[in-house]
Amino acid sequence: MSADNGPLIIGFLCNWCSYAGADMAGTSRIAYPANIRIIRVPCSGRVDPLLIVKCFEEGADAVLVAGCHPGDCHYNEGNYYSRRRFALLRALLDFMGIEKERFQVKWVSASEGKRFAKIITEFTEDMTKLGARKAS
Amino acid sequence: MVADFTQQIRDKAKELLEKGTVECVIGYETGSDGFSARPAFIYESAEVERLIFDNTCSHNLVKYLLNKKGKPTAVIVKGCDSRALNLLLSEKQIDRDNIFIIGVVCPGVVEWGWNNHSDQLQIRCNWCRQHNPVIYDFLVGEPVTEGPPDDFADIAAMETKSTEEREAFWREQAEHCVRCYACRQACPGCYCIDCFVEQLDPEWVGIRIAPEENLMWNTIRAFHLAGRCISCNECERVCPVNIPLSLLNRRMEREVLGLFDYRAGMSEDAVAPLITFMKDEKLGIGE
Repeated sequence: MSADNGPLIIGFLCNWCSYAGADMAGTSRIAYPANIRIIRVPCSGRVDPLLIVKCFEEGADAVLVAGCHPGDCHYNEGNYYSRRRFALLRALLDFMGIEKERFQVKWVSASEGKRFAKIITEFTEDMTKLGARKAS
Repeated sequence: MVADFTQQIRDKAKELLEKGTVECVIGYETGSDGFSARPAFIYESAEVERLIFDNTCSHNLVKYLLNKKGKPTAVIVKGCDSRALNLLLSEKQIDRDNIFIIGVVCPGVVEWGWNNHSDQLQIRCNWCRQHNPVIYDFLVGEPVTEGPPDDFADIAAMETKSTEEREAFWREQAEHCVRCYACRQACPGCYCIDCFVEQLDPEWVGIRIAPEENLMWNTIRAFHLAGRCISCNECERVCPVNIPLSLLNRRMEREVLGLFDYRAGMSEDAVAPLITFMKDEKLGIGE
């Protein structure tokens, strides 16, 4: 969004795994780029495609949805639904001119602080290479 | 052939209304320009002579059943429209017991506008693989053999463009959009009482008619029809600024077919792909 601060990434993290994973990264003092703005949601299944499209409309460079690994959902099956939903949304966004790379879905468990930091670091690097979105 | 279709439809409508099986027959009549069809609602058996069927009958009349809940109604459907019936039945929006379906083996519909008549088939007919109705109580016409599976050549052509070109293409389309919501009003799959676009809290789509808001509307509408669109292409036909909405809907249709081997509206007890899941599937997401 802004050339100085690098890409703006919005992250929707599920309360039970990924948000706790991000917390774990923090308490373990693992540094990751501040380009991600985290929004805590009850479940990755709660993330309505409207939220994703709205982020892009309002000028986000990339969006991340992170949830529990399949089989680990706190609500048993929320992430299975979101997996199907976002497989379709990703194809639609790509078709409409938002690169596939800009919308990522990742599974991060509560103990994977290191993995969370790695995902954010790599995602930020990729988005910096890809550059800001020309639109909006 | 088509004159014969008209007669068969009139005879059946007359019988249904006289017996009292239904209180209304939803069909087509000649519009006031003298040749293009428009929807007709026939309540009296004396009025059945108004009904016609020809190659300008493009409206998807299934949409009107949503206003006829609880009232026995007969409806005339072409192949594509019949899939919309299955869609609404599977989503429990209409009651099969109240509906009498007059299916017509579709000869194809032509491009037409007000006082403007051509022999050119509408683009939906090029990719149509459903000339025969999938659900009906009474069939008009002889079932035909359907063509080979669709190759989605229009989508593939669009995908050869770069992401920037596609972005620019859709942005330009969004600049034309006036958000009249004709696409939604014509769509049998769009029946939400409170559409997201009219919600004020949260206000998903702002009230101003600007490209960003228009793009948001068209993206989300396409997504809400993913795995539900039955390719009647009425949205594109009614669009006053000719936005190629079929590209979006067909992109989703191809994806759903590829990932889940599913075509919307093929059976009345189908389970749509986004309301179910399989634990071990690989969809290229999260891996």
